[in-house]
Amino acid sequence: MRVTFPVPPIKIRASEHLRCYPAKAKDMVKIDLPKEPVANWKEVMLKKMAEVLDKYRSVRLFMDICVKCGACTDKCQFFLGTGDPKNMPVARADLFRKVYKKYFTLGGKVFGKGNEAEELNDSVLRDWITYFYQCSECRRCSVFCPYGIDTAEITMAAREIMAAAGIATKYVTEVVAKVYDTGNNLGIGPEAWKYNCAFLEEDLKDIEGVEIKFPVDEIGAEVLLVPPSADNFANTDTMIGYAKMFHAAGISWTTSTYCNEAGNFGLFLNYANLKKTNNRILEAARQLKVKKIYWGE
Amino acid sequence: MEVLAFIYLPYLCTGILLFGIGMRAFIWLRTPVPLRIVTTPAPKSWLGVIWRYIGDLLWFPNLFKSDKLLWGAGLLFHLALWIVLLRHLRYFLYPLPTWVEGIQTVGLYAGYIIPLPVAFLFARRLLLDRLLYISILGDYFALLLLLTITVSGLLLQLFFRTYVIDVKDMILGLIHFQPRIPGVHWLFVVHLLSILTLLAYFPFSKLLHAGGLLLSPTRYQRANFEKRSVNVWDYPVVYNPENLSTPEKYAQSLKGTGKGGKE
Repeated sequence: MRVTFPVPPIKIRASEHLRCYPAKAKDMVKIDLPKEPVANWKEVMLKKMAEVLDKYRSVRLFMDICVKCGACTDKCQFFLGTGDPKNMPVARADLFRKVYKKYFTLGGKVFGKGNEAEELNDSVLRDWITYFYQCSECRRCSVFCPYGIDTAEITMAAREIMAAAGIATKYVTEVVAKVYDTGNNLGIGPEAWKYNCAFLEEDLKDIEGVEIKFPVDEIGAEVLLVPPSADNFANTDTMIGYAKMFHAAGISWTTSTYCNEAGNFGLFLNYANLKKTNNRILEAARQLKVKKIYWGE
Repeated sequence: MEVLAFIYLPYLCTGILLFGIGMRAFIWLRTPVPLRIVTTPAPKSWLGVIWRYIGDLLWFPNLFKSDKLLWGAGLLFHLALWIVLLRHLRYFLYPLPTWVEGIQTVGLYAGYIIPLPVAFLFARRLLLDRLLYISILGDYFALLLLLTITVSGLLLQLFFRTYVIDVKDMILGLIHFQPRIPGVHWLFVVHLLSILTLLAYFPFSKLLHAGGLLLSPTRYQRANFEKRSVNVWDYPVVYNPENLSTPEKYAQSLKGTGKGGKE
């Protein structure tokens, strides 16, 4: 059955008050970002913006070619849910576009406000913090855009730029920092991971009457399994399922206490942390000398 | 005045158009595409990508999914505009190919159609609250410019009949760098000047969207995920000593477990 949502009338600034908690200094240090918002944030952000525009064709091109046809305006769940017009993908991108126009295009420099160009000031930054963190980077808008404009790319660029100036949210930074301390998003330490695995072994023996191992840090296993950490903590049935499957298939496998997280929150922060989080999977595979990595969320 | 409108401006605006498009294409092509961000489902082969582009350019399937009315108006407008543009080849080509001669009548009807979708797109921007919110001056300007061009062109065809031999003489003169100043109705000057404005405005505005579509990473990339995509500006990872678990520490802990660490 096709479910259609009524498109709400726009309600200016309806979800402006929904803002994430700012990042904590202890987490920011661990993920190689400035401890707190830097004093010269404007210069830092504009410098980073120039860098991002030169590194990602997607961002520059999407800034240039949007015709504002409005096809995306009723497609974002954040708009359908709140009615705040700045949650329409095109309007969200416009928050970025007006700064881009002001500093990086001739039309914006010459015509200014008449061409929708705006200086990077306090109120623009406040909108960035609010609305670029009200995007889940789901890319639904790119499916409907006739040019494939992907607002997730613009959200990621904006977050990258803000992060460079020490502006990020507690939720994302805390999770990434936890990965670097414990190997997973939930903060399950190596001992807890091993204990959990032993517990599941016992459980499985009680249920099935068969000795099935949940190997941890086995050097030379064939497969490194990188599950979402919640599978060993909350959705344990899934973890039991992996073990049964490997047992039935006769494949030697292992998890790693260094990297047991398939989810990558670096995606919601910046490229450096995205890469670093992914790199942990490779490091774990190298240390354990496995042949294959099974990895998915 | 006449020298400006009929000789200098046509050359200047055409120059701006070509230079501007070249500049834009250069900047877009120069900027790397680090990651594979294709919108799925996507074709696996280049042939499939070309096929999808043919659809994107002729049929606007994404717009069809999004908004049927907008799709209809958009398609009608672009189709009619192409036919009218092709019809106008008769002022630029000598000797005239027969197919250009053949589409003259169709082209004329296409000309009558253009103002309808343009008016609809304009009204939509004003009447729909979401569209009113996102529209900027440039959006209205582009539509008004197109309306001016079309309406002046139609009036020239219907009421203020222009001696087309003079017009063709002028255009061929420009092409062969032997510019001549024709004696024409003032409405033709309006038609010409609004076209020249469009040419000069084109590369600096959203009107270059078709070119952008061809270079858009989400559309031109293939879904060949089994092949490794390499980021051209990639750099090595550096581990931060503040972190509790680094590869070195992990290697140390593995040695302690005695689980085949001697290997």
